[in-house]
This record gives sequence, C-alpha cells and structure tokens, in this order.
Amino acid sequence: MKKRTLVLAVATLFAVCAFSMTVLAQSAEMKLVGVITKIKIAGPAATTATAILKDTKTEKLVEIVINDELTLDKFKDHRIVEGDEIRCKYKSVDGKNVSNYFRKTAGC
Amino acid sequence: MKIRGLLMALALASLATAPGLAEEHPGRASIEASGYNGPSTCEECHPGKAKELLSTVHWKHASPVTNVDGLDAEKEYGMFNRIYTMCNGNDVVNNLKEIPVNPETGKSKFTGCNTCHPGNHLSDVGSTGPEAENAIDCLVCHSSAYDFTKRVPFKDGKGQVVMGQDRSTAAALAVGRPAAKNCMVCHERAGGGIYVKRGFEFTRENDVHAAMGMTCVDCHKAQNHKLPTGFDPNTWANDGLRVACSDCHGAEPHADQDYNRHTAKLACQTCHIPRTGGTMAKDFTRWEQGADKFYEPGTIQAEANSTKPVYAWYNLRVRNTPHFIGPDGSRNDGTSKIYPFKVYQGKAFFDKKSGQLLSMDFAPPMATGDVLAGVASAASTLGIKDYEPTPGWQTLYFGSSHLVTKENALTCFQCHTVGGALNFKDLGYSDAEVAKLTNPETYVTKVLEKQKEEW
Ligand code: HEC
Ligand code: HEC
Ligand code: HEC
Ligand code: HEC
Ligand code: HEC
Ligand code: HEC
Ligand code: HEC
Repeated sequence: MKKRTLVLAVATLFAVCAFSMTVLAQSAEMKLVGVITKIKIAGPAATTATAILKDTKTEKLVEIVINDELTLDKFKDHRIVEGDEIRCKYKSVDGKNVSNYFRKTAGC
Repeated sequence: MKIRGLLMALALASLATAPGLAEEHPGRASIEASGYNGPSTCEECHPGKAKELLSTVHWKHASPVTNVDGLDAEKEYGMFNRIYTMCNGNDVVNNLKEIPVNPETGKSKFTGCNTCHPGNHLSDVGSTGPEAENAIDCLVCHSSAYDFTKRVPFKDGKGQVVMGQDRSTAAALAVGRPAAKNCMVCHERAGGGIYVKRGFEFTRENDVHAAMGMTCVDCHKAQNHKLPTGFDPNTWANDGLRVACSDCHGAEPHADQDYNRHTAKLACQTCHIPRTGGTMAKDFTRWEQGADKFYEPGTIQAEANSTKPVYAWYNLRVRNTPHFIGPDGSRNDGTSKIYPFKVYQGKAFFDKKSGQLLSMDFAPPMATGDVLAGVASAASTLGIKDYEPTPGWQTLYFGSSHLVTKENALTCFQCHTVGGALNFKDLGYSDAEVAKLTNPETYVTKVLEKQKEEW
C-alpha cells in the first residue's frame, strides 16, 4: 500500500514535471546577443526572412525567423546587414525560432 | 467646432494622398533621362531648396534659444555644441573619425555624433556656400528606395573621412514626401541606440496617429524646410516654429466636459501618454566591452511604454544647472501646466574647479575603455587646460509627446485616488486640497453613470 502510494506520487510528480517542461519549451522567451552571419530574404515583396546569428556567449549558430514589418524593411533597405550585432528575443513555434525583438545593439 | 471639424477632415483628406506615391513625382521622366547628380538635379525644378535647407536645425544642429536659463543670447545652441549626459559629447568633440585601434583585435572603426546629419562630412554641420549645397543628402529624407549600405563613413583618396550617400538614379526616382521611416533613420537612434532617448517606438500598436496612417510630417508640417517642434526641455534647437496637440484638436476636444475642464491645468500628454520608456541611466565613467572587443557606455535600457513618467509643472522655461536640466514652473505662476516627463540620470565627469560638466570624445574609450583619455581629448579640442575630473550624476527631464493613446488614457479614478497617477502633494497642493482631490466624491456620481451606460 505504502509502496504503491509512493510509486503513484513519484509518477505524478514525473508527469507534472514533464508537462510543465513541455509548456516551458513552447512559451519561454529566449534571448541572445549575436552577430548576423547570414540574412535570407526573397526580394522586396517578402513577408518573412531568416537570419543566422552567432550567439556571442556560446558561439553557436541560431537560425531566427523574422516576420515583423519594421525589421523586414530594415533588411530590404540594408539598415540591418550581415556583420551587425543584434539583441534578439524569440520563441520556439512549431520548431522554428520566431523573433519578436530584433535590434542593433549600438548606434553611435 | 465647425472649423475644427473642417480642419480634421482636411487633415484626414491629406492623409489619403500622402504616403509613398513615388511614381507620381512629376520630375520622374526628367530624372530618368538625365540621371541624378545630387541636389543640382532637383534644383532644376525646385530652385532654392538646397540653400534654404542650410539655414535649418537639421543642417546646423543649432539655433538661437530663448527659453533656457544661463545661455548667451548672442550664441546658437544645439547638439552641435551642447554638453549633457544623454550623449556627453557633441558634433565638436565627437567629430566623425576613425578611432584608435583596439589592442586585442588590432581593429578600428568610425564614430561621431555628426553621422546624424544630411551632409557628407566634408561639408559638415553648419557649413555654407555652393559646396555645402551640393553635399546635401536630399534622398535620405525624400526617397523610399534608399540603399543604406551606401550611407556609411569611409576614407577618400586624400585620407579625409567622408559620410557616404546613396546618389543612385534608382533612389532619386522614388522621391516623395518623407515617410516616418525616413525621419526614423536618425530619430530612432537618438541618444546612441535604438529607442534609447525616450523609447520612441512609433508604431500602429503604440500610437493612435500611427494607427491612422499619419506620419511625422502630418504633424511636423515643414515650411521651407523649417520643421516645427515643441518645448521638450532637452531639445533646445528649433526652427522658430512650434507644433502642439491643440493646433489640430483645439483646447476642448472632448465630448465630455469633465475632461475639457482639466485642460487649463493639465497638458494633453498628461492623460494621453501615460507611459514612457527608453534608457533610465547611463554611466559614462564606466564603459562595457562588447563581443567585438570595442567598448560602449554602461546603459540601463527600458522598453518603450514600460515605465511611469514623472509629472511636473512646466511654464515652458528650462532650468539649466550642471546637475539638473528640466522644467521650470509652479502651480501658482499662472502659466504652468502639469506635463509628463521621461526622467533620465547620467553619470559623467564634472570639473571640480568650475563645477561644470565636462564632455568626452568617444574615440579613446571606445577603443580601450580609457574614459579619462576621452575627457582629455575633448578638453584639448575645446581649449580647456586647467580642470580636475570628478565623477557625478546629472538628472535630465525629456518631454513625452508621442505614443498617444485614447484607450489607455488616464481617467477619473486613476488620478483622484490615494496613491494615484499624480502625487498631488509633490505638485504643491495643500493637505486639505489633497484630501479633497483624492476623495471619490470628485468622480463617483459620474463614473456610476458611465458604468450604467457601458454595461
Ligand atoms: C523636371 C522637374 C523636377 C525635378 C528634376 C524634380 N522635381 Fe520634385 N516635383 C516637381 C513638380 C512639378 C512637383 C509638384 C509641384 C511642387 O510640389 O512643386 C514636384 C514635387 C516634389 C515634392 C513634393 C511631393 C509631394 O507629394 O508633396 C518633393 C518632396 C520633391 N518634388 C522632391 C524632389 C527632389 C528631392 C528632387 C531631386 C531628386 C526633385 N523633386 C526633382 C518637379 C521636379
Ligand atoms: C540625418 C539625420 C536626421 C533625419 C533624417 C531627420 N532628423 Fe530630425 N533631427 C536630427 C537631429 C540630429 C536633431 C537635433 C538637432 C539639435 O537639437 O541640435 C533633429 C531635430 C529634430 C526636431 C527638433 C528641432 C526642429 O528642427 O524643430 C524635429 C521636430 C525633427 N528633428 C523632426 C524630424 C522629422 C519630422 C524628420 C523627417 C522628415 C527628421 N527630423 C529627419 C536628425 C535628423
Ligand atoms: C531632414 C530632412 C530633409 C532633407 C535633408 C531634405 N528635405 Fe525636402 N522636405 C523635408 C520635409 C519634412 C518636407 C515637407 C514635407 C511635407 O510637409 O509635405 C520637405 C519638402 C520638400 C519639397 C516640397 C515642398 C517645398 O518646400 O517645395 C521639395 C521640393 C523638397 N523638400 C526638396 C528637397 C531637396 C531638393 C533637398 C536637398 C537639397 C531636400 N528637400 C532635403 C525634409 C527634408
Ligand atoms: C500626432 C502628431 C505628431 C506626430 C505624428 C509626430 N509628432 Fe513629433 N511632436 C508632436 C508634438 C505635439 C510635439 C511637441 C509637443 C510639446 O513639446 O509640446 C512633438 C515633438 C517632437 C520632437 C521634439 C522632441 C520631443 O520628443 O518633444 C521631435 C524630434 C519629434 N517630435 C519628431 C517626430 C518624428 C520623427 C515623428 C515620426 C516618427 C513624429 N515626431 C511624429 C506631434 C507629433
Ligand atoms: C496635425 C494634427 C494633429 C496633431 C498635432 C495631433 N493630432 Fe491627434 N489626431 C489627429 C487626427 C487627424 C486624428 C484622427 C481623427 C480623429 O479621430 O479625431 C487624431 C486622433 C487623436 C486621438 C484619437 C481620437 C479617437 O477618437 O480615436 C487622440 C486621443 C489624439 N489624437 C490626441 C492627440 C494628442 C494628445 C496630441 C498631442 C501630443 C495630438 N493628438 C496631436 C490630428 C492631430
Ligand atoms: C484629464 C485627462 C485628460 C486630459 C487632460 C485630456 N484628455 Fe483627451 N481624453 C481623455 C480620456 C480618458 C479620453 C477617452 C474618453 C472616452 O473614451 O470616453 C479622451 C478622449 C480624447 C479624444 C477622443 C474624443 C472623445 O471625446 O473621446 C481626443 C481627440 C482627445 N482626448 C484629445 C485630447 C487633447 C488634444 C487634449 C489636450 C487639449 C486632451 N485630450 C486632454 C483624457 C484626457
Ligand atoms: C491626470 C490626472 C487627472 C485625471 C485623469 C482627472 N483629474 Fe480631476 N483633477 C486633477 C487635478 C491635478 C486637479 C486640480 C486642478 C487644479 O489645480 O485646478 C483636478 C481637479 C478636479 C476637480 C476639482 C476638485 C476641487 O474641488 O478643486 C474635480 C471635480 C475633478 N478633478 C473631477 C475629475 C473627473 C470627474 C475626472 C474624470 C472625468 C477627472 N477629474 C480626471 C487631475 C486629474
């Protein structure tokens, strides 16, 4: 009896953790500072683009999807170019890293 | 009321014809045929425009300033020569140049305040004459097809630092009234980074006017390239023209008289711009190293629309002391109104001998982090020999006139409650008055009626 309760408790705990972890993975906002190594955008009418950032802390390459109009426009007229350092916030949506904040770090 | 209705209708009608109809510019065929050779091409049909631009704040970064304490009436002031802790440098001490090489990477880069200028640096801030006229970058403000890879500093054959421009025919063919984006090329970077100075994120989500498709120049209506401004205590230079909310809306814009009664003592912005944002503090005595090994001043950044403004009486005169630059005014001077401000604090070096703020040339600290070398370089440019740098803080009040909301405008019980949006006591109301102003009696009948209407 006692053992069963314990097993149940552990199982429940496990389930709760696993559940909350998947929730986290979907909704947590991630942040990074990195340099753009590549911008892919399909012409002046594009409504989406991808940028590859090299994370300054981990040196890993992270592919980010950008959908917001203001940032896309900055890709199109080259106010943001490869080599720029970016502060980025993004969320994982259907396995893609979708940006909701994409700004150059310095301005002077 | 009728006249105002007409004005609003006109304002809205002009919106319909405003944005980006580049192909309709009547000069197109001519530019297509002979190419773009700079301002002289435009001058064929728009004579005098280049010369007229040279006398504006956008070219001079300075003007006579009459509402700020302690200035010399004979001189002109602006970002050209101002020293304060949002930038701690200006066009003079921070003239565009190549910085010393970084010892770790052996690399250099260009920096300078006068990159926010529509010239080519050879003809710089405040220059005059035919060469200056010909150096103007008309297209940075007028083209919707500007290629910004060309608007970067470089060294020419003689070793002079030049600010590049897009002078392609393609860009000249896309000429029109300036869009918000053209203005934002510089204004979103004011203070040295995106939305740094006041969190000026002018988007549909943040501003009722942007949501209606209005652009900067719908309110800042230029006359012969002179642009109207307001009375931000830290934007001194002006073209002598002013813009205010009431120009378009009148002093009593509300159907509800209870709001209109407040406009004698409260600026429109106080209720309609309940949030502010941007940098809270910067420390110019401590520069932080970035991934590229160059250094930037330590900066504490808040998002747009994320912080509470500070409310103060303002009579449109500016108190200007070494440790405070902000609104002058009081409840009883008869002219002041309560305005919202974005408050910012900056740390930098002051001269112990004179008590004045010292400025900094960014080139040395950007390369090596050596802030005192930056102070020394600026002092040498300005001919200051005898000084003793000592760190200290300065408080700046910035005006808050964009990101207007109707939905989230402050309403009765957000102010007339204990601990509400305004601190009545700090604003000079007596204890008895505060008790009355924070008593629900001020609004309870009205709000009950409103609730009945709405539900
Ligand atoms: C062949 C003649 C011609 C040339 C060259 C020309 N324009 Fe125009 N432009 C016109 C005419 C005509 C108008 C309409 C009347 C007016 O506003 O003066 C106009 C209007 C404008 C307007 C007002 C647009 C609006 O929608 O209100 C701007 C801004 C402008 N031009 C800028 C320029 C610039 C910048 C250049 C140089 C790149 C240039 N123009 C070259 C003929 C020309
Ligand atoms: C090339 C950079 C640049 C561009 C483009 C630019 N500005 Fe400015 N603007 C500045 C700078 C720098 C100042 C501050 C000058 C000072 O205070 O000395 C300024 C000041 C102002 C001011 C206050 C002073 C005045 O002239 O009344 C207003 C208002 C203004 N800009 C509006 C605009 C608008 C609207 C546009 C787009 C049509 C625009 N600016 C485009 C750089 C720019
Ligand atoms: C700092 C930004 C800026 C720069 C640089 C600039 N303009 Fe303008 N220009 C404006 C603004 C703002 C207006 C007013 C737009 C409106 O209200 O429709 C304007 C209006 C015009 C107009 C139409 C109205 C008029 O006054 O005739 C012409 C033509 C024009 N500009 C030509 C030029 C030329 C030529 C140059 C380069 C020599 C130039 N502009 C540089 C901002 C700028
Ligand atoms: C709905 C009208 C409106 C629009 C749209 C607008 N402004 Fe303003 N702006 C104002 C008013 C009003 C003031 C001054 C208020 C005061 O000081 O009393 C002002 C002030 C300014 C100032 C002086 C500094 C400050 O913030 O007080 C600058 C610079 C400026 N505006 C730039 C811009 C630019 C750039 C855009 C477009 C991105 C823009 N404005 C759009 C109404 C507008
Ligand atoms: C150049 C004229 C102009 C200036 C200056 C201006 N506005 Fe407006 N404003 C308009 C127009 C046009 C509209 C849209 C028409 C309308 O709904 O009234 C509008 C809409 C609004 C609305 C939303 C009205 C609604 O019913 O949804 C508010 C609130 C507002 N303005 C407040 C301000 C404030 C506060 C300022 C000063 C910071 C200001 N406006 C400056 C022209 C202006
Ligand atoms: C005491 C706070 C307060 C002040 C001061 C104030 N407003 Fe409002 N205003 C509001 C509120 C709250 C609303 C929304 C009312 C509603 O939704 O019923 C509003 C609505 C508006 C509207 C939409 C029309 C309407 O009747 O709903 C406009 C336009 C406007 N304000 C402009 C201004 C201008 C311009 C000023 C300065 C002359 C100003 N307001 C001053 C609180 C204020
Ligand atoms: C932004 C804050 C603010 C908002 C919102 C606001 N008020 Fe006020 N109200 C004030 C201030 C400040 C005064 C004092 C003005 C003065 O010095 O004359 C005041 C004064 C009053 C008074 C006069 C009090 C007295 O006895 O002297 C009444 C009544 C009042 N408000 C009712 C309202 C109502 C009703 C609303 C909503 C429709 C409202 N207020 C919204 C700030 C606000």
